[in-house]
Order: sequence, then C-alpha cells, then structure tokens
Amino acid sequence: MASQRYWQVSATVDINPVEQAGYFEVPGAHLYTVVHQVSAPLARVLLIGAFASERHTSYLPWVRWARYLAARGTECIRFDYRGMGESTGSFEEMSFSSWAEDVELLVAWLDRRGPRQPLLLHGLELGALLASQAFTAGVGDALLMWAPPQSANEVLRPALLRRIAVDNMFRYGNERKGVAEYLAQLDREPLEVEGYQWSSRLWRDSFHLELPAGAKVAGTIASDCKRPVRTVPLDKCPEPLVKGSISVLVDPDLSGLFADNFQWITTALVISAERQ
Amino acid sequence: MVEAIQSRELITVPIGEVRLRGTYHRTHADSDSSARTGVLFVNSGYAPRAAFGDSAVYWADAFANFGFPSFRLDLPGLGDSEGELPETWLELSQLINDGHFAPYVSKAAKGLTERFRLSGMVVIGHCGGAISAVYAGAESKYIKGVVALDPYFFRNEEVRPAIRQEISVWVTRNKVAGQLGKVYRRLKKVGVIVRGAKLPANTNLTLIRNWNRLASAGIPMLVLNARGPSQSRGQFDYFRYLQQTAGGRSRVAIRFIDGAHHSFADNVGKAAVRHFVEQWLNASFPRLESKENAFAEELTVNHE
Repeated sequence: MASQRYWQVSATVDINPVEQAGYFEVPGAHLYTVVHQVSAPLARVLLIGAFASERHTSYLPWVRWARYLAARGTECIRFDYRGMGESTGSFEEMSFSSWAEDVELLVAWLDRRGPRQPLLLHGLELGALLASQAFTAGVGDALLMWAPPQSANEVLRPALLRRIAVDNMFRYGNERKGVAEYLAQLDREPLEVEGYQWSSRLWRDSFHLELPAGAKVAGTIASDCKRPVRTVPLDKCPEPLVKGSISVLVDPDLSGLFADNFQWITTALVISAERQ
Repeated sequence: MVEAIQSRELITVPIGEVRLRGTYHRTHADSDSSARTGVLFVNSGYAPRAAFGDSAVYWADAFANFGFPSFRLDLPGLGDSEGELPETWLELSQLINDGHFAPYVSKAAKGLTERFRLSGMVVIGHCGGAISAVYAGAESKYIKGVVALDPYFFRNEEVRPAIRQEISVWVTRNKVAGQLGKVYRRLKKVGVIVRGAKLPANTNLTLIRNWNRLASAGIPMLVLNARGPSQSRGQFDYFRYLQQTAGGRSRVAIRFIDGAHHSFADNVGKAAVRHFVEQWLNASFPRLESKENAFAEELTVNHE
C-alpha cells in the first residue's frame, strides 16, 4: 500500500444498506450469495465462511458482522460453498479445490461489478485457508483471518472425533470403535459426519490445504505480498465463532471484536479521497 | 445473480415491519397449486433455515419433488432475517417455550397460503421449532397439520449443575462410566414408575394445552422421535400422557426412529423423516388426480 489512511463514514452519507440474496452460477451448481449493498461503497469485503459443520454455529455472528460492515459503508458479500447450506450441489462430490474455485469466481464477479474499490478477503476457520490461498495468488488488497487452522485437517478431525464420541456414547467395551476404524471405513465408502457425506478424497485433500508457510507467523505474508494481513485467533473472544457444539451463547455481544477489526480494516485499505 | 433457479426461489415474507427471508422449493407443476397443501419449515433453535447438516434443504427438496410446495423461513433474528435475539440459549429457549415465534409462523402460513394459492400449510419444526409449530397451529386456521420432530414438553433448567455436566463428558470418554450409566438410567426409570402418570414439575403446561387443542380439533399431527440407544428410557412418557388425554378426534401419529440422532441430520434420521412425512402427507392431504395417491392405500400410520 502506498500510504495508510483512515476513512470515516460521514453522518451525512446515505449508506442505506440493502441485503440482496441470490444464486450465483458456478460449474455444476449455484452458490447462495448475499450482497450487503451500500449506495457508495468505500471498500468491498468477501466473507469466506467456516466449514460445513461449523456453518450453523457461526452463521449469526457472521451475518451480524456483514451488517456491521455494511452500516459503515463497506459492501460485503457472503456465500455458501457449493454443496453446503443454501447452495446447490452434492457435498459428497466436492473438495477444497471446488470451494477455492468458488472464491476465485466470486472475486472475478466482484471485479466486474465496479467501480473498482479496495477488496479485503476475510476468512473464518476453513475460509481463512481458502482466503490465504487466493491472497498469495495475488487476489485482494488485504487479508483478514479469524481462527485460521494450520491445515484443513485441523478442521475435519475434531468433527470426526465428535461423530465418534456420539456413536460411542452408549457403546461399551469392545463395541466402541476408534478413529482408525472410521478412517478405514472412509477409505471404502462415504462417511456421514454431522449430516454431511465425507469422501475419502476430502479427508486426503485436507492434509494438503495448509496456511502458507509464511502465514504461520503473523505479518509474514504481508512482507511477502506487500499487502496487509491480520490473523485473529479468536481465543480471547468471549464466545468462539466456531465451536462444534451447542453453546451457551446464541447471539453474543461481539461489538469489541467487530470494532477492533473494523478499525484494522480502515487502516489496512487505502481509500481514495476522491472516490469515483 | 438471480433470485430463482429451476427448483428454488428466494423469497421474503413481510410480517408487519419484519421481513422474513426464506427459500421456496418448487414442485414440478407449479401452475397447478391451488388444490395443494404447502409445507413450511421453521428454524430449529438458533440454527439457520437449512438446519443441522442441511437436513431441511434435503427434506424440502424431497417434499417438493413429491408434489408439495415447500418453504423454509428464517424467523426474526435467525438466519438471514433481521431482528433481535437474546444473548443466551437459555433466554432463547424460554422465548420459544412461551410461544414467542408463533404469531410469525401463523402469519407466514397465511401469507404464503394466499400468495401461492395453496389450500393450507403443514408446519414442520424440529426441537424448539416443533414447539413454535404447535403454538402456531393452535392459533391459525391456515395451518392444516403439524409435524413435530423430537418435540419436548418441559421448560429448561436455568443452570445445569456443574457436576452433572462433568459427568456427562466423562461418560462419553470412559468405558467403565458406560456401565455406571446403565445403572443410573435404570434407577431413573424406577423413579418414573414410582411417580406414575403425574406430570413433572417443569412441564410446559401452556404447550400441553395448545397441543391438546390441536389434537382435540382433529388436526393431523405427526410426531417423529429419534430413539438412540438410550433415549426415552427413564423419562416421563409425555406421548403416552398426551394420547390418553387427547380425546376421540385425535389424529396424532407417533413414530420412533431407531438409531436416529436428535438432529435427524444423520443418514438414518434424514431418510426416516423423508419416508414417514411423505407417507403422512399423502394420506392426510391427498391431491386430486395425483398418481402418488396410490401410496395412500399402502399407508399404515402407527398410532402408538
């Protein structure tokens, strides 16, 4: 970035956020996409969400965050990966390359929307891996990662363990099966985990989708790419956005997290003083 | 971006100043909908309208393919719909147990029935959603039937003792604990036998009254219960109680799904819900000149 500037939303600016839901066509499927439109966006944020199992637990905070940004003049786009949530497609046939392509296609669509505005990629959990992958390929003006795992397998493994724990809850002694037996089964046939049909390919591929080597130390991507990067582990968050089970808080007060990250965004993205 | 694709359409349902966002799953013959009953899914707890494991998407697709226009809505504050929610799960469950969402469900049923020229609506809810469905059904003439997936009839404890929480976690991880768990459940069962048919102190009596209103009015209701290896044992049998008090006009069918988990998002649960609801829809809301009516003769709904 050439310089660091802050932007502020003037009270006189009519932001008038509108949430426009639609289907975005990708090969073999339609992505459920919600654009949080503002009348004169200062920047755009592509929100790249959590993995299937965590979608429903992170959904409310994710929507609240999009609304928070839109109310401050930032256009947001959130979506469901193909094969998940409101999007069409068969989950069983998908893997990380499909979802990486979802990100690429949405970025290309945003580029075509115009006028050109700074673009932030914001990934949550698995989404942080996909965002960082796109970012290191040159996409976006800044990268924000919430709760990024070291690899996609770090996301899949706890979900698998939860499935096994539930199965074993009322089994005793040798009736209980271990991880190895489940993985052997997964090698032979799809395995249902928290309502999704996992393929053996998904499991295998999960070891290969990793944070870029440099990203394990915060700020390293920034020096490599000369664009700002922020990693927020969310471990200090009063209620994690990705948690894998029903939690005590449904709609936690995340105003501190939101304000802190919005401030970072405003400093990370240079907004032209003479907006077009 | 488009708002509709071949099988689905994104919709909003205005209710006062609130706009509920949702998805409409089209049938193959949309132009001929006036004689049909629609199917409306409401949120389960705090989950968005796709539900756990996207099971509601799967069922709505299936029921639409079966000839019943299906709708999934996010209630106020949930999913994509705007609105306020309480901060904690306990507060949200108290709202649900008090019927907070019922007016929205009943008005949505009316709005969708009129907009899509349907003959009425069946409301499907899971867990807390089932509670909202029952309350709404009792206050709306547009709701012609209710499907309740794993409903509950008690009010939640304010605080679960920490020691119980720790024991629950320990039991899942320890082989010896499993044997102790067996003993615990047997003792609990003895307690239920000793208490007899008296409703537990934490029963949601308002819900029971609304349930009985629906049942005694002869509104078709289908209850599907997930029965894992130990579920339903050692607990008060609300279904037996409700069947005994429902009266002669009751059209409540109750099924227990062996091997399904509470969410019904697993393979067993998903398939069973689809199977039994399709059977029940076809028997309770037959369509004229429908080839699927052939199934009605085969149906044997089990009133347990």
